[in-house]
Amino acid sequence: MKLSRHTKVAAALAGAASVALLASACSSDGGGTDEAASDEPITLTITTFGTFGYDDLYEQYMEENPNITIEATNIDTGGNARTDAFTKIAAGSGLSDIVAIEEGWLGSIMEVSDTFVDLRDFGIEDRSGDWVDWKYAQATDADGRVIGYGTDIGPEGLCYNGALFEEAGLPSDRAEVAELIDGDWEHFFDVGRDYQEATGKAWYDHSGFVWNAMVNQLDEGYYTADGELNVEGNAELQERFELLGSATEDGLSAAQAAWDWNGGKSFVDGTFATFVCPGWMLGVVQGNTEAGGGDATTGWDFADVFPGGAANWGGAFLAVPETSEHQAAAAALADWLTQPEQQVAQFEAAGTFPSTVAAQDELASNPTPNEFFNDAPVGEILAGRSVGVVAQFKGPDDSVIQENVFGPPLQKLDRGEVSTQEAWDEAIVLLNELVG
Amino acid sequence: MTSTLTPPTGTGSDGDDGRPPRASRLTWRQRISIFDVKASPYAYVAPFFLLFGLVGLFPLAYTFWVSLFDWDLLKGQGDFVGMENFWAILNDRFFWNSIRNTISIFLLSAIPQLAMALLLAYLLDQGLRAKTFWRMSILLPYVVTPVAVAIIFSSVFNEADGLVNNLLNLVGIPDQQWKHDTFLSHIAIASMVNWRWTGYNTLILLAAMQAVPRDLYESAAIDGAGAARRFFSVTIPSIRPTLIFVVITATIGGLQIFTEPRLFDVSNAGGIGGADRQFQTTVLFMWELAFFRRDFGEASAVAWLLFLLIVAFGLVNFLLSRRVATGDARGGRRAARRAARKGADA
Repeated sequence: MKLSRHTKVAAALAGAASVALLASACSSDGGGTDEAASDEPITLTITTFGTFGYDDLYEQYMEENPNITIEATNIDTGGNARTDAFTKIAAGSGLSDIVAIEEGWLGSIMEVSDTFVDLRDFGIEDRSGDWVDWKYAQATDADGRVIGYGTDIGPEGLCYNGALFEEAGLPSDRAEVAELIDGDWEHFFDVGRDYQEATGKAWYDHSGFVWNAMVNQLDEGYYTADGELNVEGNAELQERFELLGSATEDGLSAAQAAWDWNGGKSFVDGTFATFVCPGWMLGVVQGNTEAGGGDATTGWDFADVFPGGAANWGGAFLAVPETSEHQAAAAALADWLTQPEQQVAQFEAAGTFPSTVAAQDELASNPTPNEFFNDAPVGEILAGRSVGVVAQFKGPDDSVIQENVFGPPLQKLDRGEVSTQEAWDEAIVLLNELVG
Repeated sequence: MTSTLTPPTGTGSDGDDGRPPRASRLTWRQRISIFDVKASPYAYVAPFFLLFGLVGLFPLAYTFWVSLFDWDLLKGQGDFVGMENFWAILNDRFFWNSIRNTISIFLLSAIPQLAMALLLAYLLDQGLRAKTFWRMSILLPYVVTPVAVAIIFSSVFNEADGLVNNLLNLVGIPDQQWKHDTFLSHIAIASMVNWRWTGYNTLILLAAMQAVPRDLYESAAIDGAGAARRFFSVTIPSIRPTLIFVVITATIGGLQIFTEPRLFDVSNAGGIGGADRQFQTTVLFMWELAFFRRDFGEASAVAWLLFLLIVAFGLVNFLLSRRVATGDARGGRRAARRAARKGADA
């Protein structure tokens, strides 16, 4: 029985260890919220996605506010940022002090808008006139709580490859292209058919993005303005789908995988000649072209025209979750980041078009050429494209309908596996299975 | 030492001479000692079970609780619906599609992987020069994170410009639709799994083979058994428990595959595994339900159904691999011989 003493000690240790494990697992919470905007050192976390162009602004803010340290996370795409934010909302913890919310999933967030602080408590109402009015209204929930500082909006212009246009005997000058394309979607596809006949190549990268643009342009998209599902039996929507379908059946789609584009190479090797471009997409086009081995000489340009008129795709908001321990400091940073001056800096860094009127005016009156896009004055063009843009109401399942209801049939349509009618029918079946 | 080797009930038999009056004769100190010997082992294993309860059992039970409700990811608990989520899932064609895909990918990965691992382990068990080098390099793929593996293989199997298609073109085979064809996409994903896990399994099997007494091989060789015969009649039966372990872990891992199909398809943000759900595995389907379609209740039901499926598969594999590994499956000659020997012993 020599063992017994040792076992006793060991047992006590094992017991203590397990208690310690339990205790440490439960002690992550705690610590009060310090509302006082003192000089106490504070670390603020912020989560953005895609190309936000905030890095220099963070540096500047930290220099001006020595007590603030910013820890930034940038997630590659809006879709992944959505998963990140939703998971953390469901878990009830883990959200950073500032969370960037994309317009496409704002509808879902609005269902739990009380997860985020009412920014009126931090004086956002004094700034309500800064933004284009619909942007401010978008971030206001049914109870009148405002949960987001508007960052960018997504007025759409047309990215096109001048070199390819020339090869096909089309005009390549920006103004002439705008004149050539000007018109409705049918006209856009007809020009595409001419291009396709001359070169044998595709006109746009894949149907999904074009479809997104066509839907976003309508006054009411997948939902009516009162929040009713509005897909089945929606003649306007179906008509547009048929238009896109016949263009795709004529070989106008390059059937690319979105967000991949063959590793960006398809932007360089002339696989497609046009691309729907909201402001924030300019950074994506440039990034992918460069990833694919191209540069400014690849020929991408940006024209002041969009089929069917003004359209908005995307745009984001900075929100402060209720769980943040530094709500006041976070709101102050988000407020600063969305001031007109910073929005202009953001535009210069990433091409995201500002949502504040003053910043838009600044870009409109100060046409800086963008070297990558053949020196196009992209700010001035986007300012023009934003006239008449009104964001559409996004319902709770908007992103599901876009991605999982219309996405798969459109991909099959792109690959010629189904006809337009079959694709539409499949979308309706999927709608009833996934959303209905 | 001996006291730990005898089972707890055995300790009582130490003093079986005085069993009836035991209680009165034992001193307080002795009683403590007996209690100590009997109870201490439970204290040793307790930390694991506490942790298991916390991170294993509780989530399992809570998932079942969630599956009984209408549960929105963002809005949280809704109405109690009983087994309705389970019926909805069992009637969902995408669920069955995901089960088919999962089993197909599992079979395409587990079988070649384990066969390859057995063979490699056997080779590594021979007298090689620079043993450690070979053994370590076989584990190298395992160190690479699955995300990196998926991204690299996704590029290798790219349909337009991927390495595999380029190599096929060299020998005159046209481009294959690695991401659109159902069967080919399963092969592509299985190859990622195989690449990553073969080395891991090899090392475990190798460790077991090293423990096989060398004189068994010698006597088998003297009896005239060739290399193949020694492998099947000595090696495999000797490493049976390890083989079962490897088969079971491969089953669990194979049925839970997620990262590879998720990253094989970057264009669908909704995570459906190909435009037509060609390679949407069950865990990917669960991910889509929970985090994209926000239906936590049904996703929990999927989690439970998958759990049951894994248990069922694990049991089947356990029984199968036990039969195969003992070599009893076919002739049963050895079993007969052993039975005879046992009879002689008795």
